[in-house]
Amino acid sequence: MMAVILIVEDDAFTRDMAEIMIQDWGHHTLLASDVDEALSLLRSPQHIDALFTDIYLKTAVLGGCDLARKAIELRPELRVLYTTGNTVTDQMKALFVKGTRCLVKPYAEHQLQASVENLLAA
Amino acid sequence: MSDVTPAKKAVSEIAASDIVETVPSALIILDRNLNITSANRAFYQTFRTSRAETEGCHIYELGNRQWDIPALRSLLESVIPHRASVEGFEVEHDFPTIGRRTMLVNARKIFRPGDHDGYILLAIEDVSEERAAQAESKRNWQLTQSIVDTIRDPLVVLEHDMTIVTASKAFLTIFGITEAETQGRRVSELGQHQWDVPALRHLMEKVLPENKPIENFEIEDDFPGLGRRVFNLNARKIWQPGNHTHRMLLVFEDITDRKQRERDAQVLTNEISHRIKNNLQIVVGLIAYEARSTAAECVPGYKAMQARIGAIAQLYDLISQSSRGPTIAVDAYLREIAETMSASLLGNTSGIKIEVKAEALDIDPDRAVPFGLLVNELATNAIKHAFPDGTGRVVLSVEQVGDQIELTVADDGVGMKGKDAAKVPEKRGADYVAIFVRQLGGTIVPSGSEGAGTIVRIRLPLLLVPPAGAERVAA
Repeated sequence: MMAVILIVEDDAFTRDMAEIMIQDWGHHTLLASDVDEALSLLRSPQHIDALFTDIYLKTAVLGGCDLARKAIELRPELRVLYTTGNTVTDQMKALFVKGTRCLVKPYAEHQLQASVENLLAA
Repeated sequence: MSDVTPAKKAVSEIAASDIVETVPSALIILDRNLNITSANRAFYQTFRTSRAETEGCHIYELGNRQWDIPALRSLLESVIPHRASVEGFEVEHDFPTIGRRTMLVNARKIFRPGDHDGYILLAIEDVSEERAAQAESKRNWQLTQSIVDTIRDPLVVLEHDMTIVTASKAFLTIFGITEAETQGRRVSELGQHQWDVPALRHLMEKVLPENKPIENFEIEDDFPGLGRRVFNLNARKIWQPGNHTHRMLLVFEDITDRKQRERDAQVLTNEISHRIKNNLQIVVGLIAYEARSTAAECVPGYKAMQARIGAIAQLYDLISQSSRGPTIAVDAYLREIAETMSASLLGNTSGIKIEVKAEALDIDPDRAVPFGLLVNELATNAIKHAFPDGTGRVVLSVEQVGDQIELTVADDGVGMKGKDAAKVPEKRGADYVAIFVRQLGGTIVPSGSEGAGTIVRIRLPLLLVPPAGAERVAA
């Protein structure tokens, strides 16, 4: 299934690498580096199937969690995959949109691929 | 006809003289001139004198004038003439025969029919030991109170019904209350009822009946005048030998600053961990990018490299969430490795389950990296080679064997068919296993055929028993 995936990541290199990989698997990508950029895309008429977001976005420690909650309000059918270089705490998990997963950093290509496949198959 | 029969009269007379001789108090009878007319056995024994020396002698002359005591003079000459009786008159005096004594004197005027001058009956009780015990108890209490007041941590002593007997100066000062406000009140009633916590009440109820101390019960709350504070509560039963009163000592340790330092350290560790893992993400990304333009046969090597970096990165999660101090929990580390490996199983390997059976054991963080890499190498090997059909089970386990840790990586796959299980099919992987085992000072345990599959056992001298009482360090 070819999908449109919004990648939200504040580290430019990591964001670009994720884009290259995801595009390689035949998907379209949209890029944002923070919550505001991502929300403006989510509020646009652009078709988006899935959100792949880092949690710590620039100064927003739990920015990805806030973003995903707002995104689901805007687009209830949106699929969400988190990623983080932080320890995934219970406090963090409590903020996750129900039924979503988190890919911990550093993730290799095949790990991202497995997570994206699971996300789109769900 | 008299009401008193001769028999009854006889009994009462016998009884009176018997009683006088039997009572433990020393009794003497003085005439109006303060001459001793008689004394009882207790008097002679107590003051080591005899009837001959005593009877007829003036009270002040008796025994080298040892009874010529100003306090007694005052009683006999000033008080008694105006009152029928005096009770509880205390005289403390150095008696040459018996040393320093405290005497409790009861005096009563008695009159015989037709005799208007009357006599004075003095009952003298030696209360020296009782007074000495009271003085000792008072000194002990003063000592205790001064110790209590010297301790900087606020503390209270509670009665068995949880009411406050005494509160230290530090307690009164820190919580801004007066001694009167604490007396007879329960701790749960103080201030704004910050201590009224069901779990604490439950623990406190067990301290006295079950002699079960409370250790490090943490309460965080807003305290009037103090702001937000964290207190560590410790309580234990106290009693004095020979005293059946059991009380509870409750100490409040203000750990606000320590907690703040721990939280700051936690934030810093998390921040460092976050940065390191993001940097490792870049390294993994660089490898992935390189792998795209490399020959197909080299790609597995790049992927193995990424997995090894992943195994190192997982340590930072464990360090930042470690609750067992500055050590690495091997069980948690194995679970992290298993979880990450499970998450990355793809396509024809997705039918493989990775399980962990681990005792709660700690290792030194300095040795955690080679340990994690060793596990990664062995488990990766099992996943790659044990299951040609893509289904099976890999079990990672650690257990304590003597003073060592035994790491076992077992699978229910196709097996090695007589080959050495620890010899990983890929040369580089095998080299790594040998290097990490050697680095950790471990030994590979020869494994026989144990049903289907492969089993690798490695004994490692990594067991770390934290020293008793070692302070846990917030990571």
